[in-house]
Amino acid sequence: MSATTVIEQSPPTERPEKNYLNADHTLRSWIWTVDHKRIAVLYLISVTFMFFLGSIAAAVVRFELTSPWGQMLTSETYNKMFTAHGVIMVFFFIIPAIPAVLGNFLLPIMLGARDLAFPRINLLSWYLYVAGAALVLASLALGGIDAGWTFYTPLSSLYSNTQITLALVGIFLAGFSSILTGVNFIATTHKMRAPGLTWFKMPLFVWAHYATAIIMILGTPVVAMTLVLVIFERAFKFGIFSPELGGDPVLFQHLFWFYSHPAVYIMILPGMGVISELISCFSRRRVFGYEFVAFSSIAIAVIGFVVWGHHMFLSSQSVLQGILFSLLTFLVAIPSAIKIFNWTMTMYKGSVWFSTPMIYALGFMGLFVIGGLTGLHLGSLATDVHLTGTYFIVAHFHFVMVGGAIMAFLGGLHFWWPKMFGKMYSEFWGRLSAMVIFLGFNFTFFPQFMVGYLGMPRRYHFYYFAPEWQIYHILSSAGATILGIGFLMPAFYLTASLIKGPKASSNPWGAKGLEWEQTTSPPPTENFHHKPIVMDDPYDYDAIADNDDFRAHWGKEPVKYGGDN
Amino acid sequence: MAHVEHHHHGHHITPISVLIRTFIILVGLMVLTIVAAKAPYWFASLEPYRGLWVVTNAIALGIATIKAVFVVSEFMGVKYATNLIKVYAIGGFVWFFLLFIMFVDYASRPWEPVKGWENVPSSAFPRNKDNDAGTPFPQYPGEAKHGKDGH
Amino acid sequence: MAAHATTHPTNPDESEVYFQYEDIDQQQETYIVGMWTFIVQEIMFFGPLFLIYTLFRWKFQGGFYTYSQKLDYVLGGVNTMVLLFSSFTMALAVHYAQKKQTKEQLRCLGITLACGFGFLIIKAFEYADKFTHSLFPNNSFIWPPHGYEYLGGNPEHARLFFSLYFATTGLHGLHVVVGMICIASLMILTVRKAPTITDYVPTEIVGLYWHFVDLVWIFLYPLYYLIPK
Ligand SMILES: [Cu+2]
Repeated sequence: MSATTVIEQSPPTERPEKNYLNADHTLRSWIWTVDHKRIAVLYLISVTFMFFLGSIAAAVVRFELTSPWGQMLTSETYNKMFTAHGVIMVFFFIIPAIPAVLGNFLLPIMLGARDLAFPRINLLSWYLYVAGAALVLASLALGGIDAGWTFYTPLSSLYSNTQITLALVGIFLAGFSSILTGVNFIATTHKMRAPGLTWFKMPLFVWAHYATAIIMILGTPVVAMTLVLVIFERAFKFGIFSPELGGDPVLFQHLFWFYSHPAVYIMILPGMGVISELISCFSRRRVFGYEFVAFSSIAIAVIGFVVWGHHMFLSSQSVLQGILFSLLTFLVAIPSAIKIFNWTMTMYKGSVWFSTPMIYALGFMGLFVIGGLTGLHLGSLATDVHLTGTYFIVAHFHFVMVGGAIMAFLGGLHFWWPKMFGKMYSEFWGRLSAMVIFLGFNFTFFPQFMVGYLGMPRRYHFYYFAPEWQIYHILSSAGATILGIGFLMPAFYLTASLIKGPKASSNPWGAKGLEWEQTTSPPPTENFHHKPIVMDDPYDYDAIADNDDFRAHWGKEPVKYGGDN
Repeated sequence: MAHVEHHHHGHHITPISVLIRTFIILVGLMVLTIVAAKAPYWFASLEPYRGLWVVTNAIALGIATIKAVFVVSEFMGVKYATNLIKVYAIGGFVWFFLLFIMFVDYASRPWEPVKGWENVPSSAFPRNKDNDAGTPFPQYPGEAKHGKDGH
Repeated sequence: MAAHATTHPTNPDESEVYFQYEDIDQQQETYIVGMWTFIVQEIMFFGPLFLIYTLFRWKFQGGFYTYSQKLDYVLGGVNTMVLLFSSFTMALAVHYAQKKQTKEQLRCLGITLACGFGFLIIKAFEYADKFTHSLFPNNSFIWPPHGYEYLGGNPEHARLFFSLYFATTGLHGLHVVVGMICIASLMILTVRKAPTITDYVPTEIVGLYWHFVDLVWIFLYPLYYLIPK
């Protein structure tokens, strides 16, 4: 492999013997670590495990839907399956995936700091996550939960006889894990920046994570309290959300979505941060309109808080409030569109290299655009009446969550994998997996738009009243099989790369940024051998277009481009 | 700890006199809020003011807010803190009020169940027209083939 | 302690600076920023309770007056007083910590801790009264309580009121307990001259938390105990 013969770049002149991975080998040194990089690895292992479990539930759901008659599962079991899928994937995979793995690993390094502001609180976050996950898995083992991941009252508070209390406590703990991560990120971004690293020299990844952290501390506690009240309602008969007890179920929906709409941005904003890095690196250009992309993250975080009612157009929410939320929902599309336009402009006249991370990034852009635009269908009052509660909405949020967040997570993981573990994976298998996932994803979820438009309700496990929909469901289930294979591929070749992959140089992509230019792969425990001082603007790609590393790895000349176009 | 002294400019030490003053103000405001709320019930001559709950609430919350401002600015030291802390301290309280957007909803629709909602005939729901039992779903597979009104 | 300078390379001149920070100034400022971020989180955590309260109070103003007749505004007032005083002594503790007068600091922390106990004891008496009148919103909830039939009111709305009362004061009480644990730990560590307590910042952080607990009560008291007709 050519990568083994890569010449080291100048700042880290020689490969250090000690890095954060081999600093200590005991199990104890891992589970009591306060090193943000090791905690990121712990998170990587745990979210991957949860993703695997959530996928199994999804597979069962997809298998059941291949027949219109609902033959395999009882209705109750099916309810438990989609609830397990939703709860695990939302609260224990997508929300922590990018911030807690990539954010944890990269935020301090990108800021030129030795660690996050509060390393022990960071470890506490992970333990809270693990405890929450354990409780949710226990609730599944003890009979499951059937209220859907939204836990609407009064089903969740009065009628359901399943293990909801246990699951809610688990989600509460995961919520506090998320809040503590947010506290850590905010304090770190404000106070731990290296000398010279002003706000407008920060990578867009950091901007996105700062905006995410803001949502984490402002939104998550609201849902935490709401879930506590549901627990009280189940445990004692407190009467806040149940009409029989004097309360109002729509109030639960208001409070739930006050968090859970911004939570969509907790899932997608870090992904947008990742994509900004990938597009810029593999187009060899400075991100077009850096300030706009940076501020659009903040705008998304802020406006995202005032649009929650678009999930409630068909609850008893008033029409006036519906109109208000519909309007605000259209507003939040603007900053998201700004990002897409600016990424497109970044690639325009850049020299685009279709490396594995870049293919994931391009997949993200395509799928996120579809997911975002169909969001507008659902955000307008009249069309939502037809589409809400159907597979259209299922397809919509999977385009945003899977097509957006997971593609970005995988893209970012492939991009920083050499940095995290110091090994190169197989570029062939990487590109193949990106394309298989993209293909499988579209096969899975595009038919769901169509069958949803025709009226297939979500959360039903039969549709014998319209057997002609079976073809869409079979297409979707077949696509899910391809998607599953696509997701399994990185699990194998990335693991294989750890064992026999060629060593990665400190900057195999020829990328800009402190994590690439100022430290080794993998970084030492204290992140840098010398405290970095930041002089350059971010994404200053002109300067390093001619890059030995890059030539060595790719076996070709980096393309030169001139001027500012 | 010499270097702490050296960095002494970094933090402000609130004098005890200011703390005592703040405490006295807080106690005074607390007494005031009780008197304002209970006086109409204590004195017969103030009886006409008992019904003015909007005013009484405004007074009670106004006083509570003033007390909160004293606690936050003096005891918690926001008055002497960096601008960043001020932004977060004020921002936290401002953000809380975003929750109140949902009052637009509650102010513009009927609140409690509209009288008689239980008696709406099932024929009022077109989906159930051929299903007089009123069950929301058709029977289970194999029993009956239903019309697909609604698709 | 793993994050401490002993396990990581750092400047030996400033041994109490944790390894991730450059100097003591940065460390102190970061701690304060982190604590304020956490307090913002706490504000949003209590947010739904105040929102729900406002909503139902707005809808059932008359009823809420009736139900609040069963709350003792004198006991509540005494508790307000206790918390305000404890906040004052906490602020004094920070003052003395900044001046490195450890004896006075510990005395103030002790008074604050005692006030916390006092608050909880009074609260326990109030709760006990509610339980004996079956006013805890569980299956045996009764409104109007026996012997108080003249109060009138709607049992469902009364359940709502007491649900909110117990949820809000209960979670506030939990915060008092957590605050007391923090104060007690701080005192123990200060007495032991633990290496984590080298400056006033830990006291300041515990203080911020305690003042926040006081702040919540400042709003709770008029909202629950002083409801006008
Ligand atoms: Cu939404």
